[in-house]
Amino acid sequence: MDTNQYIPYQVRIADIIDEAPLVRTYRLEFTDPTANFTFKAGQFAEYGVFGEGESTFCIASSPTREGYLECTFRSSGRVTKALANCEINDIIGLRGPFGKAFPIEEWYGKDIVFITGGIGLPPLRCVIWNVLDQREKFGKVSIYYGARTVADLVYKEELDNWKKRDDVDLFLTVDPGGETKDWKDNVGFVPTIIEQNLPSSTNAIAIVAGPPILIKMSMPILAKCGFANDKIFTTLENRMKCGVGKCGHCTVGKTYVCKDGPVFTYEEVLQMPQEY
Amino acid sequence: MQDKAAELLKNGTVNLLIGFSEDLGKRPVPCFIETAEEANILVFNQECKNNLSVYLHKKEVKDAVKIGLVSNIATLRSVMQLLSENQLWSLTITYLTVNTAGELVVLSSAEELEAYVQANFPTCRAEDKEMLDKLNAMTRAERWAYWKDQLSECVKCYACRAVCPMCYCTVCTTECNQPQWIKTSAETSGNFEYHTMRAMHLGGRCINCGECGRICPAGIPVHLLTAQMNLEIEQEFGGKTGWSLKSEYAMNSFKPGDKENFIK
Amino acid sequence: MELKLLSTSDIAVFVDGLLKAGKVVVAPVLKQSGKVFFKPVQSFAEVATDYIQTAFSAKEVVFPKVEELFTYQHNEDGSLDIKDQLDRIPETVVWGLRPCDAAGFDYLNQFFLKENPDVYFKARYDKTTLVTVSCSKCDESCFCTSVDSHPGDTKGSDILLTAMDGKCYVEVITDNGLALINSAKELFTSTDTLSKEAFLAKPATHFSMDEIKDKIQYAYASAEWKHASMGCYSCGACAFACPTCTCFDIQDEGTQDHGKRVRCWDACGMSQFTKHASGHNPRNTQTERRRQRLMHKFKYSVENLGVVSCVGCGRCIRVCPSHLNIFENILSVMN
Repeated sequence: MDTNQYIPYQVRIADIIDEAPLVRTYRLEFTDPTANFTFKAGQFAEYGVFGEGESTFCIASSPTREGYLECTFRSSGRVTKALANCEINDIIGLRGPFGKAFPIEEWYGKDIVFITGGIGLPPLRCVIWNVLDQREKFGKVSIYYGARTVADLVYKEELDNWKKRDDVDLFLTVDPGGETKDWKDNVGFVPTIIEQNLPSSTNAIAIVAGPPILIKMSMPILAKCGFANDKIFTTLENRMKCGVGKCGHCTVGKTYVCKDGPVFTYEEVLQMPQEY
Repeated sequence: MQDKAAELLKNGTVNLLIGFSEDLGKRPVPCFIETAEEANILVFNQECKNNLSVYLHKKEVKDAVKIGLVSNIATLRSVMQLLSENQLWSLTITYLTVNTAGELVVLSSAEELEAYVQANFPTCRAEDKEMLDKLNAMTRAERWAYWKDQLSECVKCYACRAVCPMCYCTVCTTECNQPQWIKTSAETSGNFEYHTMRAMHLGGRCINCGECGRICPAGIPVHLLTAQMNLEIEQEFGGKTGWSLKSEYAMNSFKPGDKENFIK
Repeated sequence: MELKLLSTSDIAVFVDGLLKAGKVVVAPVLKQSGKVFFKPVQSFAEVATDYIQTAFSAKEVVFPKVEELFTYQHNEDGSLDIKDQLDRIPETVVWGLRPCDAAGFDYLNQFFLKENPDVYFKARYDKTTLVTVSCSKCDESCFCTSVDSHPGDTKGSDILLTAMDGKCYVEVITDNGLALINSAKELFTSTDTLSKEAFLAKPATHFSMDEIKDKIQYAYASAEWKHASMGCYSCGACAFACPTCTCFDIQDEGTQDHGKRVRCWDACGMSQFTKHASGHNPRNTQTERRRQRLMHKFKYSVENLGVVSCVGCGRCIRVCPSHLNIFENILSVMN
């Protein structure tokens, strides 16, 4: 009997963290203890408020941490606004996991370079957690992350923790003009900070996610450092509805971002029609 | 018409001419020509019913600025209505039409257009009048049943909205989801919501070209809804749509002498 | 495959028999507007026979224009009761399809079931028997012979009927079809293979699949797309009339307390189809949208499923308010 992929799991909001203006993280627990929900870093889910609709976000936690999953979203449209109005213990719908994950097993022994900005950190946090939870399996870990202002940085507490770790190089920045009086870290756009701290491409993988402009500006720098296009990974976002490659909204050429992605190498992205 | 079109394109009066050509099935279809050499594909006859003024809202047409528009009388009335609603200010349009004597008429200014339209103002099409009379003779219950039956066929393709020159909102009410004013799914109640909303939005603006009903893929005579709406507005408030360069839009203007006999 | 004969006068008896047996029969019906649509009928007398093609396809039988996915109801403890209605689908016979329509069902079958099987489609498709009638007439919008089919093609059908001088040649292609025939065995006699050729329409052929295979890869970059899409009104008529278009929207209808989630037809030609919540629209012009539609039919569905998803029925050309011509456009962008 085939699974009905349109019937959501029911998940309870166990915790709410306000990350930044309009940005929240929800920790979710399944109400059905027999729900055997397993996922891999990079996969996404459809989070639904019954009566309003569903919205697509990646799963921002890692399968290495059991018992819950987390999503981080910015309140912008009808569904996310309704989600933002939810309270602890409310039940929302969740469908998934969908899509292809990051091939983390293929990266054992390599250096990992994360490049992201603003609300692009949540899709990468699942990988960061996954990597840090098995730290000994990987080489150097570098994270380049920035936001428009200090207030817009998400996962502020975790950023502090990563900063304190000596097995993680965290390059944190805010856009010029976004710094506060007591900001002690970098000021400048993320690509500028990468230029000032070029990562080595030897035996390394780069993962870039976030605003299209960031991706566009970072790619030439990575190329300069010697990263081949198939060693750069990204996660694409497109308008989605079904999540399973049927409704047609997320197609880029022949590719369904939901089922053939959302994780792609930059080489795969270049082969698509540039309509995303 | 072909010669005139070629001339206008050649001398730069017009950058883009919107007219009709014939397809494989000998049906007149909208065509867009930019050079004098292409002018020989143009046709014009009684079957040229598409209201080409709707293309004036298209970005590619707006970018061309100097437009030639092959028009039947309905198209010209639509343009009048659009001009009165300040929608065509960025365009310079030359109109090519054919009068009842079969002669080519070229109109180059809004004033020429207004004079021509007022001199050649059409009456309600006979087949529409017949249908409207039939519907108005029905009891309310019969009319409700008629439209319920018709609108159950609607698939919400929005072709009616797409061909209407008056439906130029960049975000239509149906595309708003905060709140979802109109259901998107094609169930009868949602279809009613959509079509009555559209008739309301076109009240005092529709010039009854009838295109919405003619092209409906489900064969629903939706043009009758807007036609009836406009007949009633004309009766209650006077004024004609697509008549004057000055907007006398019944639904958003108020005069102290307006009748209020509907308040009972 | 079994071959049978049915006398023309017994067709009504057969169909009325199916109705009496409690099956839902969906067949072409002539409406007041002069257009023919697939509708459930109560007797064969309602079935239209003298027409070239229906306005809309019959895909509604397996992929309704509005389909309830489930209903939801909040309980006092905050949890929800979620229910679908998959067990309430009736046995249905679609009567009077054209071979192009049947090929369309074949595509739908592959699209919905090959990967990530869609349970809603499956539930309906499994209960549907397709009875196709060969075409003796065609018009200039028909182009099935350009897409590897023809007016007497059996692809996708359970039964194919060809009218031949007072009798019907019945090709029984599947077990489903055989079960239907056997429900009225007495009406059918066996026969040897007969030639359909003389009774079939001869639509013009505009291109071949080999030509598509060779040249479609160059089409994306063609400068002709702007011209091919200028007349497009950005409505959904072509997609909704098309037997193989499957794009849909998912909407919640109701309150946060109770209501239903439905899926309804959507069209890639509509301007908001790919628009993000941020306002960014990857396919922002009609040129890009029309290109996506045609490239999907002739290239992307081949790359994904191995089949061209256009069946040459010509409905998109007929319903389009500006009669945009899909085969003319494909030829112009490929060359």
